[in-house]
Amino acid sequence: MCPRRRPIPVPGNALAGRAASLSNTPSDLNMSPLGSRLLASLPAKEYSRLAPQLKPITLSFGDVLYESGDTISYVYFPNDAIISLLSTLNGKTSVEIGMIGNEGMVGISLFMGVDRSPTRALVHAAGSAMMMTSMAAQQEVQRMGDLYRLLQRYTHSFLTQVCYLSTCNRFHAIDSRLARWLLMSRDRSGSNELRLTQEFMAEMLGGRREGVNKAIGAMQRNGIIEYSRGQLKILDSPALQRASCVCYGLIKTEYDSFS
Amino acid sequence: MTVKPQRPLGNWLLDALPDAAYERLANNLRPVSFSLGEVIYESGGKIENVYFPTTSHVSLLYTMLNGSTAEMGLVGNEGVLGVALFMGGETTHNRAVIQGSGEALKLKAKAAQEEFARGGEFQHLLLRYTMCLITQISQTAVCNRLHSVEKRLCRWLLMTHDRTRSDELQMTQEFISHMLGVRREGVTHAAGSLQQRGLISYVRGHIKIVDRPRLEQYVCECYEVVNDEHARLHSLAVLGHAKAAHALR
Repeated sequence: MCPRRRPIPVPGNALAGRAASLSNTPSDLNMSPLGSRLLASLPAKEYSRLAPQLKPITLSFGDVLYESGDTISYVYFPNDAIISLLSTLNGKTSVEIGMIGNEGMVGISLFMGVDRSPTRALVHAAGSAMMMTSMAAQQEVQRMGDLYRLLQRYTHSFLTQVCYLSTCNRFHAIDSRLARWLLMSRDRSGSNELRLTQEFMAEMLGGRREGVNKAIGAMQRNGIIEYSRGQLKILDSPALQRASCVCYGLIKTEYDSFS
Repeated sequence: MTVKPQRPLGNWLLDALPDAAYERLANNLRPVSFSLGEVIYESGGKIENVYFPTTSHVSLLYTMLNGSTAEMGLVGNEGVLGVALFMGGETTHNRAVIQGSGEALKLKAKAAQEEFARGGEFQHLLLRYTMCLITQISQTAVCNRLHSVEKRLCRWLLMTHDRTRSDELQMTQEFISHMLGVRREGVTHAAGSLQQRGLISYVRGHIKIVDRPRLEQYVCECYEVVNDEHARLHSLAVLGHAKAAHALR
């Protein structure tokens, strides 16, 4: 895995091709045509007012939005990109402590008055997002209007996810945690297909590559997934849900609560 | 007639409030006493009051379907119980249990929400504290995954010791095993190991911190990470900079 820094945001054709990709979205997934479900929950007038401050950006796998301890210059509202928040110990990535997709905002610390990111924010699934400067975001928060209320609710959702992940890490085996993680990624990317190495998955889960390898092998044999050369395809998501620990359902309930 | 609590109260958040904000809340603050094991909030329970511990401290627990428990975090006089209330939620999904008996200040949910909605110092401090809590819980997630029972016990002992006044902690192995989400045997083994290193003494259910400085050296880095976050909040509160930090540049 080669995480690379993206020093300057690149607004681009982030939303082009969105219509095409949506038509491939599995029907049971909660993807909004506007991309970010958080932003889509704003009243139309509010969204229009904010729109000039929101710039679309294309994110690639491995992009590092913040390093642990970085000052937050921009916040991001993912559309179909997925960001993993990774704790780092002694400069090395250890465990994923949160996953953010179209239900949330990357840089939620800003909402709580902290202008730096305690975790590394890494793009784990390529896609698009809307970005906003931290100054604009802070101004919005100060207004205590609709976006503020949505960020309050998202903070609660995020705290809940962090709690569930903490328990999951304590009690659940690598195979059920992997299933949970794949399902969470599927929900947020809107796709059954993910590009991932086993090393990467092991890092996210704080496990060993061998453990991931075994778990992937078992899922393949059971026809739940297909995995070849870094490309993973979910074939049977109901079966994957059965293979997952209970944490997936709990996290999903939170995720769905922005409708 | 109820006597208005006088500051300093011994809770960082309340003590850091500007006088005007404190005056508004003071008439709604009630001192309460808690004993070990008392349940403040049940999982899924409605938040009727928020609590600011002074000499007590609380364990936030998550209970799984099969009954196993894991501790999410500890809240003592550096914090407040019921942060979910300030995030548009009326219920909390963690169970909050008194782990160290002592006192706290109780504030009715409605009064807390009203003050929070003013968008002033109270709001800033509570949001800042929410960040501390998230840091604590996510660090626990990391610790749970990567560190040995011994290190985790070490960390938990230090965090508990930070929030109590005594070097002696009234704990059973059973209790600790619930907090750490490990089997009792694991706790016995880990405690024995820490005792052998001369860091604690463990006799008949009482753990005594014997060598705090060496315990701090031995603990995993997770302890410092959370402490740093709390220290940042505390220094902001003490210097009254919370508002300044939140203002537009």
